[in-house]
Amino acid sequence: MRGVSKHFGEIPAVDHLDLTVGNGEFVVLLGPTGAGKTTTLRLVAGLEKLDAGTISIGGHDMTTADPAVRDVSFVFQQYSLYPHLSVYENLAFPLRSPAHPHSKSEIRRRVTAIAEMLRITHKLDNRATQLSGGEMQRVAIGRAMVREPQIYLMDEPLSSLDAKLRADLRLELKRIQQDLGATLLYVTHDQIEAMTMANRIGVIDQGRLIQVGTPREIYQDPCNLYVASRLGQPAINVIPPGLIPRFAVPPGTASIGARTEHMHISRSVNGSGQGKVEWIEHLGDQNHLHVRIGDHQIITLVDPETPMSRGDDVDIALTGPLFFDAAGNRLRGTGDG
Amino acid sequence: MSEPQDSAADKLAARVASATPEPLARRVRGLSDRAIAWLFISPTIVLLLAINIFPLIWTIYLSFTNYKANRINRPIEFIGLRNYERVLTDTDIWHTLQVTAHFLCWTMTLQVVLGFGLAWLINKQFKGHGLWTTVILLPMMLSPAVVGNFWTFLYQPQIGLFNYAVSFVTGIPPSSFQMIGDVNLAPWAIVIVDTWMWTPYIMLICLAGLRSIPDYIYEAAEVDRASKWRQFWSITLPMVLPFLMLAVLFRSIENFKMFDLVVELTSGGPGSVTELASINLKREAFEKWRTGYSSAFAIILFVTVFGAASIYVKALNKVKQR
Repeated sequence: MRGVSKHFGEIPAVDHLDLTVGNGEFVVLLGPTGAGKTTTLRLVAGLEKLDAGTISIGGHDMTTADPAVRDVSFVFQQYSLYPHLSVYENLAFPLRSPAHPHSKSEIRRRVTAIAEMLRITHKLDNRATQLSGGEMQRVAIGRAMVREPQIYLMDEPLSSLDAKLRADLRLELKRIQQDLGATLLYVTHDQIEAMTMANRIGVIDQGRLIQVGTPREIYQDPCNLYVASRLGQPAINVIPPGLIPRFAVPPGTASIGARTEHMHISRSVNGSGQGKVEWIEHLGDQNHLHVRIGDHQIITLVDPETPMSRGDDVDIALTGPLFFDAAGNRLRGTGDG
Repeated sequence: MSEPQDSAADKLAARVASATPEPLARRVRGLSDRAIAWLFISPTIVLLLAINIFPLIWTIYLSFTNYKANRINRPIEFIGLRNYERVLTDTDIWHTLQVTAHFLCWTMTLQVVLGFGLAWLINKQFKGHGLWTTVILLPMMLSPAVVGNFWTFLYQPQIGLFNYAVSFVTGIPPSSFQMIGDVNLAPWAIVIVDTWMWTPYIMLICLAGLRSIPDYIYEAAEVDRASKWRQFWSITLPMVLPFLMLAVLFRSIENFKMFDLVVELTSGGPGSVTELASINLKREAFEKWRTGYSSAFAIILFVTVFGAASIYVKALNKVKQR
């Protein structure tokens, strides 16, 4: 994709987006609702016409091609199964294209293989509308997987599932992708999906691609405050430079981003700590610690066995946090903690 | 110590009880709620029995007799299945059934094709499709008597617009053919008028069916490399089919009983080439006064429609469940 743009009326949905997805790569586009992720996918699939730029798939220019010739498959957010057909027929539908004929036995072989992979073999004779949400989604994924297209496009396929099923399918999807060596462009607003499945993540905001990189790069080395705030649980703490005393920052620093691993929190010995523990959230395996420093609140992870309790005075030390200028861009300097 | 408090509580409870309204029924007449319910629906039931159920049973009874409604004093004789035998061996009856079948088959075919086509076009959401929908629906809202009258003028060989339109397209002079007067054309004249009047109905129901198919299904099909042609055959048509079949069911039952429109247009003529079953029935019953005979015919028609409709509904349910 080169310089791809799409406007809906006055509003740019996708703004000069450049992205290359390598063969066999799993690329995740991460961004909030309305960032232009879905539009990007639809542009690649040919379901929307682009205003500017070019799209090529498998080395061929597909900018103005119809969806049918692009050789892509698409998993829609709202399943989009054919309601009047059985699960088997839904899975077989892409193989029954008269322009790309498959023999009956070939269709049967592929459909049963996919059904087995997605564990829906026992539902093959059901009507598409007689399935649970998770099953429908697996059929939708299966319908995309039954062909071997140049690229699989997936639009938040897991967003309407419950937490447990989402976690299961996340692993399954990654496994299938690795087994098939498939090329995938995947859209989500869920940072865990992005972090766990992607080879590379593209963070997108207001139609612009902000940063592309491996999950590790995006997490550890975000290019601006926006990217930094998309990843990490709990979200990165943004604090003004003067808040922690005796901590030097590079010139121009307007804010400091500090994640759990950038902070060392300890009970102050002499009762003169900078912060006060305001609240402890118990999540089971770990606790969220809410610390108040002046007018600012910091949320960080602590061991559930932490000796700290509400009202304790604490000292906070920073090690290697991220620095951002007034525009939110990253400053590549090191402070000293 | 606690006694005065208790009695105060009792008093309070009594006051609350007296202030609470009793159920409406008991307060008014001493009737139960169920009795009130019966009171409200009984007028409908009485009416239904009087003008629907009783005549039906009476017709069944009469169909086994030689009763003639214009000779009330003649003793009624029970003649068993003789009327049915006569109806089923009467060549006139078979002729009217043939006319009805012709009318039914052609009106349904034309209306399904045109209705579905129009719905498909309207569903393209072109500019002004709302206005067009209203215009197309107008014939359906007219009274059959008005439509019949209106088309007798359109079919006039000398001044009729229909004849002029045909002559404009084909080049044959307008007064050279008579839609209503010609033995070969009259059966088609009634088919055309019924199609003109009732195609909008099929269109409306098909449109509802088409609108019920979400866009994303087509998008999925497009990505799945289905051509427009295949999308139509494997998505549009199967998903509209239950709607279409329902519309055909309603229209078929109506057209099997068709009377008013055709009477207004041709009164069954010329000769008896447009004499539909119900027109024949009316003649037998109220012109020839063969009441018992026509009762038997009416029962046969009723059973035919009922049986055909039941089979059809079974098929419809199968399509729906697919």
